[in-house]
This record gives sequence, C-alpha cells and structure tokens, in this order.
Amino acid sequence: MGAFEFLIQGLGTALQPAMLLYALIGVTLGTAVGVLPGIGPALTVALLLPVTYHLDPAGSLIMFCGIYYGGMYGGSTTSILLNTPGESSSIITALEGNKMARAGRGGPALATAAIGSFIAGLIATLFLAFLAPWIVKAALAFGPREYFALMVLAFVTVSSAFGDSTLRGLTSLFIGLGLACVGIDQLTGQARMAFGVPELLDGVEVTTLAVAMFAVGEALAIAGLGSRAADEVIPVKGSVWMTAKDWSRSWKPWLRGTAIGFPIGAMPAGGAEIGTFLSYATEKRLTKHPEEFGKGAIEGVAGPEAANNASAAGTLVPLLTLGLPTSATAAIMLAGFQQFGLQPGPLLFATNPTLVWGLIASLLIANAMLLILNLPLIGLWVRLLTIPRHWLYAGILLFATLGTIGANPSTFELGMLLGFGLLGYVMRLFGYPIAPVVVGLILGPMAEQQLRRALSISQGDWMTLVQSPIAAILLGIAALAFIVPLILRQSGKGEVLSQLAGDED
Amino acid sequence: MKTFILAGLMAGLTALPAAADYTIIAPAAPGGGWDQTARTMQTVMQGEGISPSVQVQNVPGAGGTIGLAQFASQSAGNPDALIVGGFVMVGAILTNASPVTLADVTPIARLTGEYEAIVVPAASPIADINGLIEALKADPGAVSWAGGSAGGTDHIAVGLLAKAAGVDPTKINYIAYSGGGEALAAILGNQVTAGVSSVGEFEEQVKAGTLRLLAVTAPERIKGVDAPTLKESGLDVQLQNWRMVAAAPGLTDEQKAKVSADIEKMVKSEAWQKQLADKGWSDTYLAGPAFQEQLAADIASTEAVLKAIGLVK
Amino acid sequence: MSQADQNNQRRADRAALVIALGLALFGAVLLWDSARLADLGGYSGVGPASMPRIIGLALLGLAIWTAAEAWRGDFPERPEQHAGPVLWVVGGLVAQLLLLNVAGFSIATGLLFGLTARGFGKRNLALTVGIGIVLSFFVWAVFSQLLSLHLPAGPLERVFFPKG
Repeated sequence: MGAFEFLIQGLGTALQPAMLLYALIGVTLGTAVGVLPGIGPALTVALLLPVTYHLDPAGSLIMFCGIYYGGMYGGSTTSILLNTPGESSSIITALEGNKMARAGRGGPALATAAIGSFIAGLIATLFLAFLAPWIVKAALAFGPREYFALMVLAFVTVSSAFGDSTLRGLTSLFIGLGLACVGIDQLTGQARMAFGVPELLDGVEVTTLAVAMFAVGEALAIAGLGSRAADEVIPVKGSVWMTAKDWSRSWKPWLRGTAIGFPIGAMPAGGAEIGTFLSYATEKRLTKHPEEFGKGAIEGVAGPEAANNASAAGTLVPLLTLGLPTSATAAIMLAGFQQFGLQPGPLLFATNPTLVWGLIASLLIANAMLLILNLPLIGLWVRLLTIPRHWLYAGILLFATLGTIGANPSTFELGMLLGFGLLGYVMRLFGYPIAPVVVGLILGPMAEQQLRRALSISQGDWMTLVQSPIAAILLGIAALAFIVPLILRQSGKGEVLSQLAGDED
Repeated sequence: MKTFILAGLMAGLTALPAAADYTIIAPAAPGGGWDQTARTMQTVMQGEGISPSVQVQNVPGAGGTIGLAQFASQSAGNPDALIVGGFVMVGAILTNASPVTLADVTPIARLTGEYEAIVVPAASPIADINGLIEALKADPGAVSWAGGSAGGTDHIAVGLLAKAAGVDPTKINYIAYSGGGEALAAILGNQVTAGVSSVGEFEEQVKAGTLRLLAVTAPERIKGVDAPTLKESGLDVQLQNWRMVAAAPGLTDEQKAKVSADIEKMVKSEAWQKQLADKGWSDTYLAGPAFQEQLAADIASTEAVLKAIGLVK
Repeated sequence: MSQADQNNQRRADRAALVIALGLALFGAVLLWDSARLADLGGYSGVGPASMPRIIGLALLGLAIWTAAEAWRGDFPERPEQHAGPVLWVVGGLVAQLLLLNVAGFSIATGLLFGLTARGFGKRNLALTVGIGIVLSFFVWAVFSQLLSLHLPAGPLERVFFPKG
C-alpha cells in the first residue's frame, strides 16, 4: 500500500462517529487545560494521558491527538483576549492580538488565529506525512554553529522591530538576558546568580515571566489609572467575523508563518518560540500597513499563530522518523505512543504504517475539530471583554495565578510572579517595551549554549562559526538585516523606519 | 467558564477519581523518566488495587534536588508520601551542594535501570571501542562527546571511561545537551565524535544502521544488544542509570515495612512487568539492605568521579 | 508613584535616575556573581562566567546612558498614577501568596479576587471575596478532582473532599 491508501484508510477509521466523539472530548479537554497560563501542551497531555488508558488503541490515539492540538490551541485565546499568554509560543500573539481585542476587533483576531492554526496544522501535517524523511535530513545538518547563527538572526530581526527608543528597547532586552543567566549553567553545571536559593537553580520560568509582565503588570498599570479606568468599556466594533480585507491581509502571513514555523519546529533544538519571533519580524517588514503594527495589525496575529502550530507538527518529524523527543511535549507524546508498544524510530514508518498513518489521520481530524469547535465560540469569547473591568481583572489574576500554582505549587513561584509583575508595571510606566525582556530570556541561553558548544567542538577556534555554509548564510542575512536599516536611516529615510518600529506595548 | 463546565462533565464521564491515598512526587517536569516512572506506578498501583487512588505531583528543578528538599521537609512522618528519584539525583545533590541528601529520606527500592551505551555515527572512521580509546589518548580535546546535562549519568560515564583508560578526566571534551533528543541529533548529524546515553535511547538508530554501538557499561553482555561491555575491552567501568522510589523521613519500622510491601507487590504484578516491557525498561528491582549497600557504593564512586572531572570541589 | 516629576520636562527626571541606579546595581550583581565562578570554559575558551560578564558590562553602559537621558529630562511623559488601587491589587497577590498553603487554594485566591475587584473600584469586599471564594472553589474542584491537577487544599476544600 502506498502512503495515500494508508492515509485514506486511517481517515476512514477516524471518521467513525465514536471516534469523532473521542476527538471532540480530546480537543475540549485539551483546550480547557491548555488555556491555563503556564500549563502548556506537555503538562496537558501528561495530566490527561491516564484518561486515554481505558480506551481502545484507535480511540485513545485520536483523543490523545485531540488533547495535544487542543493544548497547543488553548494558549492563543487567552493571549488575545486577556493579554495572558498561555505558553511561551503564544507570547508574540499577545502583542498584536491583544491590541486588536482592545480596539474591539477581538473577533477577527481570534478568527485569524483559529483559521491560521488550522491551515498551518493542515499543511504541516501533510508535510509531516509525505516529506518527513527528507526534512529530517536537512534538520540534522544543523549543528551548534548553525543554531548559533539562527539565534543571531532572530536577535537582529526581532530587536530591530521593538520600540521607538533604542535605549529602552536595548535596556529591556538586556534585563531579559540578565535574568536568563539565573540558574544552573547547562554546560558546566555551575549555579549562576542563584545566591544559594534552590528555587533559583532552574532559572526563571519563561511562562512565569511572561504572565507576570503581561497580565499582572498590565492589571497594576490599569488599576493605577484609578477611576478613569473603571468607566472605560471595550467596544465591540463591527462584525466578530473577518472581513474581506482581513482575509486578504491574513492568507499570506498564514502561509509564510507555516513556511517559517514548520522547519524550525523540525529542528531538534529549534523551539516553537523562535518560529513565532521570526514570523512576526517578517510580517512587520513585509506589511503594507506598517503604521498598524503595535496597534493591532492582523498580520502580526496570523503569521505567528500559523508558525506556532506548524512548528507543533514539525516537532513530530524528528519524533516519528528518528524517535527523537526534542521537547517536553514530544517526550510526553513518546510516552503516549508507548502505551501501544509503539517505539518511534527510523523504522517506524516501515514496520508500523497503520498506526503511523492512523496517528496522522487523527491529527488532521483533531485539527479540523478544533476549527469547527472554536469558530462558533468566538462570539462568546469576545463578549468576555464586555464584563465590567473589576470582575474582568479579578478573573484574569485568578486565572494567571491558577496556571502558575498548577504548574508548580510553590510560594516562591508566586513571589516571582508578583516581583516580575511589579517590574512589568514600572517598565510600562516609563515606556519600556515588555516583549524584549521575554525574548532575551528565551534566546539568551540558547545562543550562549550553542556558541559554547560550537567553540568546544572546534577547540576554541572562532572561525568555525563561518566555516559552515548554512551558518555563513544565516549570519550574512543577519548582518544585512542589521546594516541595511542603518544605511537607509543615513540616506534620510528615517521617518519610514521610525514608523515601522511602533511601540508594541 | 462554560468550557470548564463542559470539560468537567466530560472528564466526569470518562473517569471519576476519588481522592489520593499515596501521593508520589515526581521531582521533574512532565515527560521525563521520573515523571513517567511515577505515572506508571500510579497506573499499576491503582489497577492492582494496592492503593485506591494515587496522585502524582511534579516538583521540577535542579536534577530533582528541589523536589527532594520539599519532600524531606513537608512529608516527614507521612507514610503515604513517596518520591521517585534516581542516579541522576546522586550527582545533582553533589554538584548543586544540596543541603538535603538521600540520607534525609527513606529509600525503599530500586525499580528499573538502564545501562549506558557508547556510540559513534555510522560515517565515523572509528570502528570499535579500542579505536575510540586510541583517539582519546592521542588528543583528548579532539574527541568531543555528546550527552545529557553536565554532571549527569552520561558525563559521569565519560569521566569513568577516561579515568579507566588512563586519560586525565579534566581533559575530556564533553558537550552537554539539555535532553537525550538533542544529544542524539548532534550525534546523528555528525557534529560530535561520539555519544553517550542509555542503551534504549540509541536502540532504534543502531538497528537502522545510522549509529555504531561500540560498548555498554553493563557488567555482562545485555541480551539482544550486540556490543561488548567495557569490562571486556579491559576498562573497568560499570554504570547503571537506575530509578528508585523513596518514602518520607521519620517513619516507624511498621510504616516502612508497609510501604516496602506495597512496592514489592506492585513490582511483582503482571501489570508492572507489562508496563516495563512496553516502555523498554528493565526490571532491576532491589530492596532492603542490598539496595542500601548499592546506594552507598554509587554515592561514593560518583563523588570520586565528579571530583576528578572538576565539577565538585 | 511618580507624579511629582512631571511638571517640568527639562528638569532632571529623578525617577528615571533611580532606574539607572537599578540597572547599574543589576549589572554589578552580575559581575560580582560571575567573579566567583570557577573558569570551566574547557576547550571552548568561553566559560560560564563570560556571558554574565558581557551582560553585566552592557547593563552598566545602559545605566550611564539612562542617567544621561534622565538628566536631560528626555523620558516620555508618564500617565498619572493612583497608588491606592495598585496597592489593593498588590495586597491581593501578597495575601494569596501567604495564605495559599495555609488556607488552601479557594480562600487564598478568593481574597486575591476580592482585593483586585476592590482595586478596580468595587468596594463591597464581603460580596467580592465571597464570590471569589465560590468561584475559586469551583475552579479548584474541576481542576484538582476531575483533571487531577495538583492544587493546594485547605480547610474549605477538605470539608467537601475529605481526602484532599
């Protein structure tokens, strides 16, 4: 049987009514737990895995895929509506998405996220099905120096897109980089900036920082406005659906996001966040509406959301073809496969095609199910914002702390949430952009580790960084992205650029 | 809120768990070996009726030492509290200079374990373990090793190997990766000279011929694994990355006996054996004084090698 | 917290000077901490202390730059802030943090809910805390009992679910 027959057969199984019910339960449960900030797809699947033990293999596989995609999806809803990213890969979504929701365009923001996720999930799952063996070969060509070059590129493109003040943008970034130093140094096992506090040994949790800075910091800033804030009600302007203009502005970012997110997700050390950063920076450069960036540009939601879903499917490439669990989510997926005595590895596609194609069919079903389930809910979600502010913000804080407590029930973690919340408040007050702090925290350790690994392998020879063609090309692009704006500014086109770099906060 | 209600109802339809009897702390994030061990224990203990309901709690961080510290202080005298741990914890306690050690809890039994394997990419010119040792002796810096976190089992294995081969352990060029997957990718991508991880981690790749298995750290050849032991090659290295379960400190002898009996019952059950087989874990159950002795020996040898590598002062 | 310095744009911005000081402190702590790290750079030549050192120095540089801008009064105007509401919200977070493991999730989070609503102008604490506790208890029940997420239990939770 060829790949197509297997896929059709898998879809046939997955489309039976009982299986559809399992898929529905799976995506619902996955979304419900996945919306909690700090509880990403990994923990969601881990928590709900026992539920699937009782079912037959096909049903449990389908429910499991539903939980996985539901958990992935859950994060973006809260990012857009409540400015509370559910997981690190939906942080970028909050930038434009929440601005859109504030402007009464929460409906289109949620819709472009849902449809973009669906399209990205669909394309990426098909790539996974038919191109996995080739993609994984390319991904394995990425060693430490190539990753380092990729991080440099991410740094350059992302930081040039932040804020209207170079000083404040850089300060935010370096605060994030400084915080990233906290914890055990991966390469030597030494504790840095931990001051003997055991809770600091694992460093600052990205979701804790993001939730604190975005949700808590904002709640404090709005409370600080006093009675003025209480009267302000968020209007719901126009239709909750996407207009023709929204569609025409969204479809290219969806496809570009997929193209960026999928390969980066397939790279063993890529990480879903990097794809969202690069997608955001790309959209910001290519958009015909640069003035809207920072004030709610739909491209800035469509691209990163597609990228983050595509990278979720990308993660499955090394898992299914090599048996490489490259993230916590992939590791827990592996545990899910092992329930059926299924050992992912290079021979899986050959030895167990029925299950592999059943899995891929289940992913397609779960993906479609999420779209069908979520589109009608958008109207309901948007109305959440019309709740009076005192209830809304009380609810947001309940929710933000619930995620933190659920992921790690320690007083210390809550203390960090409060501390960083206050930091986020002060930074808002003085016009510092928030996102670079989170970007620094995510990219800093990755760049540092890959650089040190590359130099270890080359025994201290810095030339190694440009001796690989991929690394050299990536560094070249990064250099261009850094230099070209400087030249443009010199030749008097500065105004255009300063418009490009709106304040995203 | 409506989603929550819906979710609640649906979960209610599938399973209605009552409150927990045993609480198992998995001192790691979900997905890792300890978390999976804890959740497998949960499934088996519930299924076999050893405990009506078991709760698993993740307390991630610092090689398990954060979970261990919390467990030792909060569960003292509680006979229903268990914690999963393992060899990695032994190293982490030393490298992090953790104030709480395994002496502060009540180790009950070793449950499973895996031996370490040393591999090279299929394209590597190195044909066997002797070839690798020769290269290491010739220029230790030119042999880069990919493995898990610094001071972890893989790192210790390389340190022991270097020591046994007469190479200065501080001179090894060990590249730490955050997880087995990343390290494996680096080996497959020909980024490093050799790789060290558990046998199971490499199994599929070795079968597919993309990696060459040079040696294992078992005391004797492992059934179904076509590779010599290091001992056969004249290197006196033995290492098992084991996982264990411990109870709270300050238990009475009866309480200890009850927990030990429950664990033994679990290990002897068919369901546990099936889970081990499914997951490819081997049964290295060891309890009582024999386990205590093994534990003491492991702690002593780990401390020695971590000092030799220079990670512990 | 910083409304005083708004009046004269050209005057030195004292609050911004405090930020510069904070950045300098952060940088200094990074440098101080990295100084005690053993240099285990090994073959790479870049050890665990290298990166904190670079970041620490950069933060010191940014502190000087910030101080210069603050001195010239170049910082953007800040919206007027009311300390009262902010303190209510912070108080709610502190209350939750302190009570979480003593009183359990519902009571601690209910207090957070009520105090936050107070910060946003809803004055009837008995009502808001009450609603908060009921809501939190419901959330606790769903997540801990049905979805087996571990959330701290207190006296209230034990009344309904004796085994926690």
